[in-house]
Amino acid sequence: MRSRADTLRATLEWLLRAGVIALLAWFLVYTLRTQREGVVEDAASPTLDRQLARWSTSSSPSRVQVRLDHPPAGRDRDWLGALTGAGTAVAWSGPKLVPTAIAIEPRADPQRGVDVSVAAPESATVVLADTLGVLDSARATRDGVRGYIPKPRATVDAIVGPVAARAARHDSLELRRLFVVGEAGWEGKFTIAALEERGWKVDAHLAVSPKGDTHQGKLAELDTAHYSAVLALDSTAARYAGRIASFVREGGGLVLWSPAARVRALAAIAPGGAGTVVEDEGDTPPDSAPRSALEITPITSLAPDAVVLERRGDAVTLAARRVGPGRVIETGYTDSWRWRMAGGPDALERHRAWISGLVSLVAFAPHHPLAAVPSDAAPLASLIDRLGAPSTTVTRASLDPAVVARWVFGILCAALLVEWASRRLRGVK
Amino acid sequence: MSQFVFATARYASGDWESAPSLPEAVIDAVARYTTIDVAPVGVYVDISTHEIFNYPFIWLTGHLPLRFTDAERRNVKQYVERGGLLMIDDHNHDITGVFHKTANEEIERMFGKMTRLPKDHEIYKCFFVFDDGPPNTHHELNGYGDDLLHKYLDAVIVNGRVGLIYSSKDYSSEWNFHADTKKFMQQDPTKFGVNLIVYALTR
Repeated sequence: MRSRADTLRATLEWLLRAGVIALLAWFLVYTLRTQREGVVEDAASPTLDRQLARWSTSSSPSRVQVRLDHPPAGRDRDWLGALTGAGTAVAWSGPKLVPTAIAIEPRADPQRGVDVSVAAPESATVVLADTLGVLDSARATRDGVRGYIPKPRATVDAIVGPVAARAARHDSLELRRLFVVGEAGWEGKFTIAALEERGWKVDAHLAVSPKGDTHQGKLAELDTAHYSAVLALDSTAARYAGRIASFVREGGGLVLWSPAARVRALAAIAPGGAGTVVEDEGDTPPDSAPRSALEITPITSLAPDAVVLERRGDAVTLAARRVGPGRVIETGYTDSWRWRMAGGPDALERHRAWISGLVSLVAFAPHHPLAAVPSDAAPLASLIDRLGAPSTTVTRASLDPAVVARWVFGILCAALLVEWASRRLRGVK
Repeated sequence: MSQFVFATARYASGDWESAPSLPEAVIDAVARYTTIDVAPVGVYVDISTHEIFNYPFIWLTGHLPLRFTDAERRNVKQYVERGGLLMIDDHNHDITGVFHKTANEEIERMFGKMTRLPKDHEIYKCFFVFDDGPPNTHHELNGYGDDLLHKYLDAVIVNGRVGLIYSSKDYSSEWNFHADTKKFMQQDPTKFGVNLIVYALTR
């Protein structure tokens, strides 16, 4: 009669044999299903580099899933795109990735700065940086973030959370001189001063008397080969009206103080006419709205294609218009110098930037391409463009068949060995 | 567009009103020789107030010590840095006098040492041409004051522009007369005043 121990061992041997058969059956099913559905593998941002290399060499998964903490670098994005092209389905997810895009445009300004536009979700904190470090930060409004960066490096980054969008400068602008014409007066003096302090080269003709005027610089031919823009302060511009009109029609810029729009030849290209002067009340221009305290000659009788840029109440104070390839901006602020002299602590710099900004809006400035620098202006959009929309469903990654085969072989060997040893120790063949 | 208003500085110390007819004589010259839109009468401006920033050209003169208050000093510094032109003229025409000494101390305290305007500076040719620099005054030629002919004007330059001119020539005496008197004069002595105004309005 068999002892109790022998009975237990016989049962164990039976279980081992059954287990081996079950394992073989499972492995058969697994192999058939893997062949039918393919292998599913996954990766996260920290392991993406290594996995990409593996997926392209030792393993050929039919489907990969990538969990992203930040947008992959351009190379990795292209690699994932190439995998898609080679037949591997690539799914990705990244709940923390915020749609962010940046665009920069050189401004016609001697500081060689760029206008920056960033698209980001409303109220997101946008950090602007370049290769030397952080430049500034701002909270995005519904229209994103707009700003100006003087003297930028080759690239500018907009960082929102884990997403960094990078824009590169593609071209630079060639600036010419400016020509200012008007009567000798504070507006002319301080306009020229502001422009020169900003870095513009200025020629001027300021009327002083019928016998002799004041000239600054040597007035060259009034064309776009010599000048980027003309600034006409008043009716003194009548002496140059025909040439100014031709200059604008060939692409030049014109900043027109509204009294100068009374000159007939300039009226034809002006955004509007000149109304009745609204005198200032002698108040100090406040920092919050400095132009609100200035005297204005409102712009009236707007041309049909004129665009209003600024108003004070019902009065138009800034308007612009295209004339062929040229651009004209008209200002109703005829005593803007008071802002510079009598304004708050930042008045000097802000008045300078404002006057130069008017010129920048219209200045003729041919573009010159710069050497290409890698950029990634909209990383999330590029990712979606290459790989499609993020995946919302998560498929469980399958086991690696080679690893599974090794484990199955090992377990089978061990089970059979134990079963054989048990039988031999009991004296059974 | 603003018209040009001749402004004379009123300051806490000294006799700021010592040349009461000078504005009228200079205004007459500006109106006579140029088309500049000039106000027919001048104004006195208290330089301790914000009002000075409405007058980018200001004439300052006197015989007595010139000691600015803190508010005056702060305003004058800001005025010059923002592009105003302050003309300071020594009514004593005496470099050993109290006005000269104290005025120079004040200027140096605010702006450092002044630069000498060369005789070919634009200010001498921006309207009338003065080949030999600043024109001499009768008070210099007659040996009053320090008995010297001052050949140069001194200046504070800000961003390449003259922001303050200091004169030992006593134009305050030379131009302090009723404008009608000019018809009895062979030469109008206020012509250099026109250059100062034209320079202030154009540079």
